[in-house]
Amino acid sequence: MHTIRRNGARAPWPTRLGVAGGVLGLLLTTAACGGDDGGGGAAADGGTTREDGPVNMRFSWWGSDTRHAATQELIDLYESQNEGVTIEGDFTGFADYWDRLATSTAGGEAPCIMQQDTRYVREYADRNALLDLSPYIEDGTIDNSNLDENVAETGMVEDATYAIPTGVNAFSVVIDPQAYAAAGVEVPDGESWTWDEMVETAAQVTQATGGQVYGMQAMGLNGGDTNFEVYAREHGEALFDENGEIGFTQETLVDWWNIEKQASESGAEPPPSTTVEVFNGGVDQALVATGRGASGFWWTNELPALTAGAGHELQFLRFPTEEGNGETGMYLKPAMFWAISSDCESPQEAAMFLDWLINSEEAVNIIKADRGLPVNTELRDQIAPTLDAPGQAAVAFVEEITPDLQDPPALPPQGAGEVQSILQRYTEQILFDQISVEDAAEQFMTEVESAIA
Amino acid sequence: MSSTLDVSSRERQHDEAPRRGGPDAPRTKRKSGRLAPYLFLAPWFAGLLFITAGPIAASAYLSFTDYSLIGSPEWIGLDNFQRMFNDPRFYQSLKVTFIYVAVSVPLQLAFALFLAMILDRGLKGLALYRSVYYLPSLLGGSVAIAILWRQIFGSDGLLNQVLRFVGFENPPGWVSNPDYALGTLIVLNVWTFGAPMVIFLAGLRQIPTMYYEAASLDGAGKARQFFQVTLPLLSPIIFFNLVLQTINAFQTFTQAFIVSGGTGGPADSTLFYTLYLYQRGFGNFDMGYASALAWFLLLIVGGLTAINFIASKYWVFYGD
Repeated sequence: MHTIRRNGARAPWPTRLGVAGGVLGLLLTTAACGGDDGGGGAAADGGTTREDGPVNMRFSWWGSDTRHAATQELIDLYESQNEGVTIEGDFTGFADYWDRLATSTAGGEAPCIMQQDTRYVREYADRNALLDLSPYIEDGTIDNSNLDENVAETGMVEDATYAIPTGVNAFSVVIDPQAYAAAGVEVPDGESWTWDEMVETAAQVTQATGGQVYGMQAMGLNGGDTNFEVYAREHGEALFDENGEIGFTQETLVDWWNIEKQASESGAEPPPSTTVEVFNGGVDQALVATGRGASGFWWTNELPALTAGAGHELQFLRFPTEEGNGETGMYLKPAMFWAISSDCESPQEAAMFLDWLINSEEAVNIIKADRGLPVNTELRDQIAPTLDAPGQAAVAFVEEITPDLQDPPALPPQGAGEVQSILQRYTEQILFDQISVEDAAEQFMTEVESAIA
Repeated sequence: MSSTLDVSSRERQHDEAPRRGGPDAPRTKRKSGRLAPYLFLAPWFAGLLFITAGPIAASAYLSFTDYSLIGSPEWIGLDNFQRMFNDPRFYQSLKVTFIYVAVSVPLQLAFALFLAMILDRGLKGLALYRSVYYLPSLLGGSVAIAILWRQIFGSDGLLNQVLRFVGFENPPGWVSNPDYALGTLIVLNVWTFGAPMVIFLAGLRQIPTMYYEAASLDGAGKARQFFQVTLPLLSPIIFFNLVLQTINAFQTFTQAFIVSGGTGGPADSTLFYTLYLYQRGFGNFDMGYASALAWFLLLIVGGLTAINFIASKYWVFYGD
């Protein structure tokens, strides 16, 4: 065939028209982007229940490998006890979770039961994507009599309850005592250490180990917005004030970023590109979880996952303070929430499952402290002794610091979910020396302002 | 020989034509004969309508609205388009995308042509080589390859282990350093040269050998033959590949999304246009703005393609 063509005249393709046609087709796919309206409002009645036939509900969460395994165990147990109910688990990491949730919500395919976060409850509730749980609380489907009152209220938007906290935890410092010992550096005293001391000791660790173990993990990437919030609160400011407006000054942000810059330049932190890679790896790749670092900022409920990676005991420390007086801006935060989608076809069944998750001993025994210390105070006390060592350490630490903590902030405004990614981007630019701390702070405030507008 | 084949097939068509319209052809058969092609087209047409045209129309409408993804769109006229011009990240994403297209497309095409010419020399096991080189094209846009890429080009990845082994002290983290991240993605795109290569190969095979014979009789060397015979005769195919790969490159998403973990980082150095569009739409509940961005991209790509077509008059040789 080829030889025939070679000796003969030019083959007829490609012609002008053919090229143009193919190109037009490809071009059009460029603009094929968009979604249809999310359908469905809040279901007025209980929707379909197991009496009407088999109920199938989707259940989404984010988390580490440890959590995925435990949550699947929960699902299996609930299904075995509740004939006719099947629950389809659906999990990802934190960052992908929100893209996926937004997309499925827009498509009217939101998971019935979802894990929610402080940053996003308003975002979804204000747009009627979450079911108001008040009727289910009133009729007793969801029992809130044993829930920690202060914390349970954090899921409310005006008078409606859109989300029930799973538990509480605190953002704090996690250190690896072995790493300090190996470096021959004394573990700092959590009640009196200062931010400067934190950077100095971390730099010592890196130096003593010849860069094999870094003193600390960056502040601005993993949980950066919470880290800064604690810093701002220590200085009498806040990330957002009660009116949902920016609650901090540019100077405070500059000071906080200067700590990060100092840590990066002194070698307390890994080089910026390693920092970026470690952050992208999540909890499982944390410096303290892989033996490559002596400290990092993590939520108290993340200790078990970190410990599993490290293979030996890790410890908590309080946040450092400016004055070294222990008057920290730390607070107990609802670790995450359970919420029900307003699209859910079986809200009654979903509410029953939710009640089981927070109020049944079996469920709490499986979840343990992975989603924060249980919001059900009776069960919290009950499971405390059954927790593994890191879990007990978390309980003890939270109990110890509770008297010194500030009140949890109210639900942040819509758009608060963007703060973390904006903060992360500027932190990266600062670490890579692409922008001055002052310019970054100024631009950060402008961007946040327009994000929450 | 091929021209005689062509003629004979044309004759056959002439034979059939009168028979089809002949008076003795049954009416019903003729009707179903007309319907059949449309039936066969129907699945494709349904796809076009519901999967392509529908969303396109929807996004055209949404681009004039404030649409939070959850909830209903609100008409705001041209605000979204005005907003772009005050959006520094919009400019950053344009910059990243244009650098990527301008560097990776010519490199990829040159590489594809080079390998096509080697393969065209009649190697043994041509089919095998062709498949092997084509493979990256099939895999290049996939998630798995992007993850693999991230591993290979990480600070402690395969590449850096090799570099350290051969004596480089401090190789950078290729995908986690803003100075190199985009370059790494460009290399990934160049690596997927298989699709244009296969098209080049087919094109090369259609250039009649007599031109080369004539050229060499006239004393033209290999280089001269390449510039005077191969390139002009191949120009329609180069043009086709250029336009196609340019459009493809503008739509790059997966690689950047996976390699940067969806952020376009480090420090926005891999903030591709489509990735930014995705972030606005699905990450920040800003689907109206995202739709406007999509339409602006269509304008850019459409405009560049038009320029390409106009410019092609001056360098593409159609021969017909």
